[in-house]
Amino acid sequence: MSTLADITTIARWEVKKSFSMMSRDVLPLAAILFVLLVLVTGLTAQTGLHLQDGMYRVGVDDPRVAGLIAGDARFSVYQLDASTLDANRDVFDVIVVRGQASSRGTDKANAALKTLSRDYGKYVNSIYNSETDLFAAYPLWIDSESVKSELSFLATQSGQYISAAPSRAAPVPEGVVQNIPNPSPDLSLSEDQLRAQLVQSNAQNSQISRYTEALSSSGAMGNFKTPSQLSPPLPFDSIILVFIFIFPLYFTSQFFMMSIMNERIERKGEILLSTPVRASSIIIGKALPYFIGMLAICAALTLYIGASPLIILPLIPIIFFFLANALLIGMLSRSFKELSFISIFFSTVATSYLFFPSIFANVHVISLISPLTLIVLTIQGSVWTATDYLYSTSLFWLTGAVLFYIAAQNFKDERLFSEKPLATRVREFLSEILPRKYPFVSLFLLSGFSIPFVFMVQMMCLVLFFNLPMPYSLVFLLLFAALIEEFAKGIGIYTIYSRDAGFFTWKNLVLASAATAIGFLVAEKLLLFVTIAQISDSVFGSILFLSLGSLWLPLLLHFVGVLIVAACLKLGGKRWFVPGLAIAMVVHCLYNLYFILGWLG
Amino acid sequence: MKGRHLSIIAKKEFRGLFNEKTILLAVLLQLFIALFSSFLMVGLTSMYDPSSLSKYSRYRYSVAYAGNESELLTYLEKSPDFRVYQMDLSTAVAALGQRKLAAVIYVPDTPPDAVDPIKITLYTVQNDLQSAIVDVKLKDIFLKYEQNLRQIREERLDVHPLPLQIPASTGGGDFYEFVYGLLIPLLVFMPAIIASALVIDLITEEYQHETLETLISTPVTFPEMIWGKVLACEVLVPIQAATWLILLAINGIAIQNPVQILLQVSVTSLILILIGTLVALHYRERTAAQFIFSTGLVVVILLVLAVPSNPLNLLTRLAVGTAGLEQWLVLAVVLAIVAILCYITQKYAEQVAKNHSGS
Repeated sequence: MSTLADITTIARWEVKKSFSMMSRDVLPLAAILFVLLVLVTGLTAQTGLHLQDGMYRVGVDDPRVAGLIAGDARFSVYQLDASTLDANRDVFDVIVVRGQASSRGTDKANAALKTLSRDYGKYVNSIYNSETDLFAAYPLWIDSESVKSELSFLATQSGQYISAAPSRAAPVPEGVVQNIPNPSPDLSLSEDQLRAQLVQSNAQNSQISRYTEALSSSGAMGNFKTPSQLSPPLPFDSIILVFIFIFPLYFTSQFFMMSIMNERIERKGEILLSTPVRASSIIIGKALPYFIGMLAICAALTLYIGASPLIILPLIPIIFFFLANALLIGMLSRSFKELSFISIFFSTVATSYLFFPSIFANVHVISLISPLTLIVLTIQGSVWTATDYLYSTSLFWLTGAVLFYIAAQNFKDERLFSEKPLATRVREFLSEILPRKYPFVSLFLLSGFSIPFVFMVQMMCLVLFFNLPMPYSLVFLLLFAALIEEFAKGIGIYTIYSRDAGFFTWKNLVLASAATAIGFLVAEKLLLFVTIAQISDSVFGSILFLSLGSLWLPLLLHFVGVLIVAACLKLGGKRWFVPGLAIAMVVHCLYNLYFILGWLG
Repeated sequence: MKGRHLSIIAKKEFRGLFNEKTILLAVLLQLFIALFSSFLMVGLTSMYDPSSLSKYSRYRYSVAYAGNESELLTYLEKSPDFRVYQMDLSTAVAALGQRKLAAVIYVPDTPPDAVDPIKITLYTVQNDLQSAIVDVKLKDIFLKYEQNLRQIREERLDVHPLPLQIPASTGGGDFYEFVYGLLIPLLVFMPAIIASALVIDLITEEYQHETLETLISTPVTFPEMIWGKVLACEVLVPIQAATWLILLAINGIAIQNPVQILLQVSVTSLILILIGTLVALHYRERTAAQFIFSTGLVVVILLVLAVPSNPLNLLTRLAVGTAGLEQWLVLAVVLAIVAILCYITQKYAEQVAKNHSGS
């Protein structure tokens, strides 16, 4: 129980310390800034964001049309007579002469034309909304019904879009056809209700309302829409989620990062280390207040937007992951500027990992690798299963745990207060978790624990390259997957080599490579079966995890890869690490290519 | 104030940046974002306009038509995007569930000139990329049909909108506003934000690492040291911004007036850097200074965006080539603010130096 007592004591210290530091003259100013923020937000909501003002030049001959267009700040409107406009066509992106718009045909002019046509549509709708006979103005209503049919990852093998191949005869469904009654020809809503909906949807500022609509789960009135209201789901909804949920988390983790850094400045943390408290207790104790704080922020935000509390579940691993990274960054960086740059770098990469897949939330199972997708789904009212949860969060849990372990092992004097370059420090940190007594066991474990990271980076590549047309996406994935795996396997060998080059006799070299290869394979299998069977069945998966079939072939591949890197190190020294990786990557690619080609053909 | 002293300090900070290879991280970050956004653009473009990838240009989606015959059926049959089958509703929906069709349309027997509207039911596959594309293509056809019905019922309308003929879009320009109106000002302005965060790091570091005494004992005065740091951060801004412009150009995004853009960014960034300097001088501690600065930054940026013809808007206009002479007016206003901030910073730094030597 003393561990628990230690943790609570340290947590209490941490809270007290940060409050005493903050309260002096930060809190009053922070409060003022917060009030200002609310005021300014109100102001911008009223005046709108003036970012795209005056992007396009439009020439008009009719004052009524000029008035209509001038309502959109994106246009600079010039009212001239028709002949002048015709003579100066090139000055304007779009000219409107005698009620006929025409453009220059450049990308910009096309964009201007599209914006103009949207604005005009809005104007026309506002006129039609006030017609006494609404159904003369809006004679056509569309009721959208969706039919469930899960897109399987396998289907994308033939390219990005799967669909029925067109044939001459009408397609015939397999199995029993369920009888569907003909839909009633009446709208179930009254004319007044429909008019109210039209007026409301027309009045909304599409730029901002799109985002707010994503958060308020209250749907519009039924599924009835006029043709002009039909629009594809916009993928930018998740941007707002990133800002609302991820940004505060990132912000709070900065404080944790700084608190760790502050312990290291001028050896202030030495007193804490000299106490009999264990390093892990110190870390947990210091992290606990931030963890609770971040959880509280998330809970408050969830409550504020009135979403289901289920949202918190996928956020917990994100918080855990952020804290683990903040801890390590705080322990690694030598100066404030290094801290800033590393943390900006980390947050950008982490944000893209979270954000980009969730763009495809309604489109593809690939989106599920980001926990944010679960949030998007929760807000939309869709259900996700425990398997989905495991699938999208397991990598965050695992990598977070490994990082915490590395940090705990290195939380001591000689690591915290050294002033060596970043790369050296990273190597020292790794070296600490590779005990000299059991080099092979530790290599086995290290390469095993590198798997979640490898998967994470590979997932990122998958998301990145998935957007490309088919042959390119495969080629890029092939190269990067091989490079990442070889790098992950080589890093342990490199660490031991730089610590003690004499250790690598040829016998030890082979043994070390074998230990690494086995560790890699075992962990790969384990994680694969738990989480990403969905992806591993596809052709993309076969590149990433080409090892589900037989066991000894992939083992041999991993072994050969590491051996190449290790041999390069032994023969050429540290300078040969990168060329060694390159050679190993080529071998890896050839192996994959052979099997995929064989498999495809 | 001696120029030589300023450059000594600035050089020292640069050496620090290069020694730590942090500058490398910044460049890497830029490349990463550029890579990701260009990949994203390819993905998004192909998602919304699949015909932009030549492979899909001749693709015809299978749709089923159920219910009563109407003008809509003719439109669908004429369209080059669809292959229409007249089917029974239940069979068609079952085929849709098995992905043998892209959409099913049911049309009731309401006559075109009826008092009531015509309610069409559209069945598509839930959560599907293809549905999104089919939706877009069907929308055009529905709009055409709506227009046709409106004409039939025209006599019942009492107000008519101003006529305006807009030619059908010829493709392209979908992401123009996103790229030029959001991405470019954001990316080009990012170096200014990074530089102002950097100046806070540089100043608080001297306080927290207690290296200030050593620096003050050299011939360099305290204000000179502060200005040296400001200079070091300011120099980074145009370099990084120019890198963005080059990266964007490599991605095929042409930007006009690059020189004016760099000028505007460099001058405007001074405002942020000087605010950062003042905050850092006041708090002398990184956590507090960065916290206050970043909160303040959000306030300032929102406030600036609420004002028409703000510097960020100017970046957009310069990039698309619609900025007129007003850009010099904006520059003058920004310069005036910079001058005021310079004065305050100088006075504050002198004050700090006096207190320091006095204590």
